[in-house]
Amino acid sequence: MTEVITDPTPPILHGPSDKEKKYDRQLRLWAASGQQALEDAHILLINSGSGTVGVETLKNLVLPGIGKFTIADENTVGQADLGVNFFLDEDCLGKLRSECCVRLLQELNPDVQGNWFPKNKNETIEQLFDGTMQFTMILYTAPITRARMELVLKYGQQRNVPVISIHSAGFYSYFHINLPGNFPIVDTHPDSTATTDLRLLTPWKELSHFAASLTDNIQSLSAHEHGHIPYVALLLHYLAKWKEEHGTLPSTYKEKTAFRSRVASGARTDTPEGGEENFDEAVAAVLKTISSPGLPSSVREVFDYTPNKMESTASFWIIADAIKQFYNKHNTLPLPGSVPDMKAQSTVYVQLQNIYKAKARQDAAEVLKTVRSHPRGKDINSAEVESFCKNAAFIKLIRGSKSSEASPTNIKVLAEREFENDANAPMMAMPLSLFPIYLSLSATTFYPTSDASDIIGTIKNVFPDAASTPRVVEAAEEVARANGGELHNISALTGGMVAQEVIKIITKQYIPIDNTCIFDGITSRTQVLRI
Amino acid sequence: MASSKKRDRFNAQSLGMPLNDKVKEARVLMVGAGGIGCELLKNLVLAGFGEVHIVDLDTIDLSNLNRQFLFRHEHIKKSKALVAKEAAHKFNPNVKLEAHHANIKDSQFNVDWFKTFTMVFNALDNLEARRHANKMCLAADVPLIESGTTGFNGQVQVIKKGITACYDCTPKETPKSFPVCTIRSTPSQPIHCIVWAKSYLLSEIFGASEDESPEVDNSEDSENAKEIEKLRQEAQALKQIRESMGTEPFPQLLFDKVFKDDVIRLRSMEDMWKTRRPPEPLDYSATAQLDSREAVEKTLKDGQRVWDLQENISVFKDSLERLNKRMSEMKATSKGDAAEPTITFDKDDDDTLDFVTAGANLRSIVFGIETKSRFDIKQMAGNIIPAIATTNAIVAGLCVLQSYKVLRGEFTSTKEVFLSPFAPERLLASGRPREPNPDCPVCSVAQTRLLVDMSRATLKDLVEDFLQLELGYGEDLTVNHGNDLLYDPDENENLARKLSELGIKGDSFLTVVDDTERNPRVNLVLNVQEKTGLEGKPIKSLDIAGKQTRDEMPTPASPIPRRKTSVPQSNGHTNGNGTSSSIAGKKRSADEALNGDTPDSKRSKIVSNGAEDGVIVLDDTDGAILIDDD
Ligand SMILES: [Zn+2]
Repeated sequence: MTEVITDPTPPILHGPSDKEKKYDRQLRLWAASGQQALEDAHILLINSGSGTVGVETLKNLVLPGIGKFTIADENTVGQADLGVNFFLDEDCLGKLRSECCVRLLQELNPDVQGNWFPKNKNETIEQLFDGTMQFTMILYTAPITRARMELVLKYGQQRNVPVISIHSAGFYSYFHINLPGNFPIVDTHPDSTATTDLRLLTPWKELSHFAASLTDNIQSLSAHEHGHIPYVALLLHYLAKWKEEHGTLPSTYKEKTAFRSRVASGARTDTPEGGEENFDEAVAAVLKTISSPGLPSSVREVFDYTPNKMESTASFWIIADAIKQFYNKHNTLPLPGSVPDMKAQSTVYVQLQNIYKAKARQDAAEVLKTVRSHPRGKDINSAEVESFCKNAAFIKLIRGSKSSEASPTNIKVLAEREFENDANAPMMAMPLSLFPIYLSLSATTFYPTSDASDIIGTIKNVFPDAASTPRVVEAAEEVARANGGELHNISALTGGMVAQEVIKIITKQYIPIDNTCIFDGITSRTQVLRI
Repeated sequence: MASSKKRDRFNAQSLGMPLNDKVKEARVLMVGAGGIGCELLKNLVLAGFGEVHIVDLDTIDLSNLNRQFLFRHEHIKKSKALVAKEAAHKFNPNVKLEAHHANIKDSQFNVDWFKTFTMVFNALDNLEARRHANKMCLAADVPLIESGTTGFNGQVQVIKKGITACYDCTPKETPKSFPVCTIRSTPSQPIHCIVWAKSYLLSEIFGASEDESPEVDNSEDSENAKEIEKLRQEAQALKQIRESMGTEPFPQLLFDKVFKDDVIRLRSMEDMWKTRRPPEPLDYSATAQLDSREAVEKTLKDGQRVWDLQENISVFKDSLERLNKRMSEMKATSKGDAAEPTITFDKDDDDTLDFVTAGANLRSIVFGIETKSRFDIKQMAGNIIPAIATTNAIVAGLCVLQSYKVLRGEFTSTKEVFLSPFAPERLLASGRPREPNPDCPVCSVAQTRLLVDMSRATLKDLVEDFLQLELGYGEDLTVNHGNDLLYDPDENENLARKLSELGIKGDSFLTVVDDTERNPRVNLVLNVQEKTGLEGKPIKSLDIAGKQTRDEMPTPASPIPRRKTSVPQSNGHTNGNGTSSSIAGKKRSADEALNGDTPDSKRSKIVSNGAEDGVIVLDDTDGAILIDDD
């Protein structure tokens, strides 16, 4: 060994920040933009009852680094709390529950700011809504007083703040998302296999030319070249031939399968493998890629919606309108521009990628031009337009909740539909509705320790047949048996589901449920209903 | 103790006394104290499970803290199992916790040890350990609750030998591997260059180079034999350069070797480049004007952006120096220890990640392949699985719900649940457990523990005496030890040798395959247990009554079942709990509540045909039952 380099040690500033490292595993799900949205958020939890499900939800938001949270809770800690709430210990007995939970939750993540309320006897939770504090979202747990619930829902509507109510008792739980207005999502994270859009039925000039250049003298290509024609070019080649022979492109299932056999017959069989991988890929892609994409119904819904005055100034609606104009002109959405992996020589593959990318850029530029011509379109970021174009086929609009609370008529209609479905369920091999669980739990929203006949009595107001519907009676008895108490495990699981929806809404990524999820811990089942 | 009673009160009320007692008496094993493990341990402790053993080999890393909430910043590098135990203990001092900072595959965790548990929870993140725990639980006949998560996806299943499908009943995807020539000579995708930087460059310079990476397929055939020989020489030359590590010219020597000289040699093989773009060598001295310290620091901070050639060269040199320094420090502290210190790739170790990022990107530039950001390369090189708290919370909760069914022995009413986050109309997809696959190589086998006197037992004792004489096997059978063939009718020269001479020890697993054409037996898995001073025959089965056992019990013609030919059609919704039908209550009892979808037709008003959850139990009696609170 010769002399060892003795450079002065460089300062230890290497690499990504500790924060990036800590959040690495989740950044891969919602990227830096989603993380920023979380860090800018302030969540309010109005906690009551046995108080576990709300705190478990917060735990799952504190860990990924929500900006701020506030717990409003007037209760003091008793022995029973210790048995179900992980974020309380012996030292907390007799102390303010909100403060104790905040302290222990905050230990989970020093980057998060926690606050509690009320700080003293003169403060009331109602003061939180006097307008001095801004919340990104409000969670409240049952039981709650009717007055307080109405105040929260009104505040949410007026301030445009989503409100989620959560109710967990015994083996049952549900949560209900109340979005104050319409909720459009651009980045829905569609399944990667669904996003392939190759435009094989409507190729543009550059793509046709490139494909033709690869397949012009297809018979005389060397074995290596023939086996490396990318399947996109193969399909375009055989489509052109088909059109020559039939006058039209294959459109029915029968034509497509005939076309598929035609493609398959083009593969050389004198290879060591007895076939060619690129032809196999082409054959496999026929049914999926030889079809005009059409306009997905969720996009149609966005195009058909007329935003109100307040909404129309939002960049989402300005870009959506520009894309609608693009669609009306070209009868197709902007090209996303990505090309799936395929057997090809790497230089050819890169050229193919560039052709798709160039077209995608061109489409996005056209949309951007329309956006810019809008009176409020000057300041819209071009990256936002590009990302919108890329995701155009998967944008989604979730409609806001109409009234502040599920109306009795709405519930009645739902109950009738669900019980009618149940009558047919055994025949259809369908699972039974969990709606009775929702009815029974929500009947105890204000009176957690109701007995079964009280619960059924309340349900009768919206569903007169309650007492003679066995599933309702069963659920009511189970809720009565829980007597307002939570099982830690059910609340932890529910807290996981609620936090997941909170993250979707805050990051505006992925599609949140619409709008109520009911959980049955006895059969480990969920049902989502719009209530 | 009064307080503990109060604490338990609600669990008792909700679960009912019989089940709550079973929970308190349960002794469970949790394998893995990571994402699912932390959540699960919290839930088990608060549910009042009597005794929980935790096994985990891992230590805590910064990137765990976004979800593994039992750990804090000050715990980094400490044992997950031990820290989790300490943290959880505070929340229910009545639960007995035991932690093992060890590998579940260690021999101390043998079949007998597994047998001591009521059930096992798999909270693991890798295929190998999952398979091992699956195999051990089947051998010990202990129920296993298997779970896993990836990003927003997750699943839970209950594995009970002979009743539900095991982990290996459906084949699992094995990690992808690439032919050695693609990695070393003709890369065409970023991943090829990343595997090269990680499994070749880094490991030749800092690792134990004889390590064979599972990502590289080194199999040779006549076509590539010549090229593989060349590559061997190339690697040999690289080892020589390793000798000059720590010297001034080392970075340039290495750079010139792998990004210039080797590339020129490769380029000279014209046949290779007829249909490919030939690689372009890089010149170190042409870019010797390296970035300033500040500029390098700035580049290193920006892992989301794709670096350019200059930046990659600078990071290459910088990370190489950092690794050098570490290596010389390791050598200094290890002193005369036999093994040379090594540095292996760790996605969360910046020095190795920077080196692999720059190395992979430089190689991509040589071959005209798209370069990638460090953020992306980290994911590709490290096989990073996205992970968040929410998914773990849901999955762990489902595991505990399944454990209640297991404690009641209701294996067929457990659920196999998949999280379906991208189907926002339901969030969870719950189905009935699958039946065992009759062709499963792991669970559709017969198993027995074998007491073996190692000082005298021979292969002949095993084959002729135990298998053929006692169990009635015919001539056509093979005995395997892992991948080694010990015996078949043509391979019988080992018969006289002692099992101990054939590499068999306590806790070895042997597989006996019945090769008879007509009506063969299922495979038999023998778990060897050492027993010194065994009286009589040197091999005895612990679980199968053979012909020569002392009991006068009549022995069935073949204690080893015959292979089934197809999946049996099942409608077997058995009610394994035998809930007394004398319950009569105004109040719904916990027992009934938990009965949920296990029908008892005597009490049912509506009984469906057993579709998914399609069974309602309704108590139409009108008596009264109250659940004891204490
Ligand atoms: Zn199996």
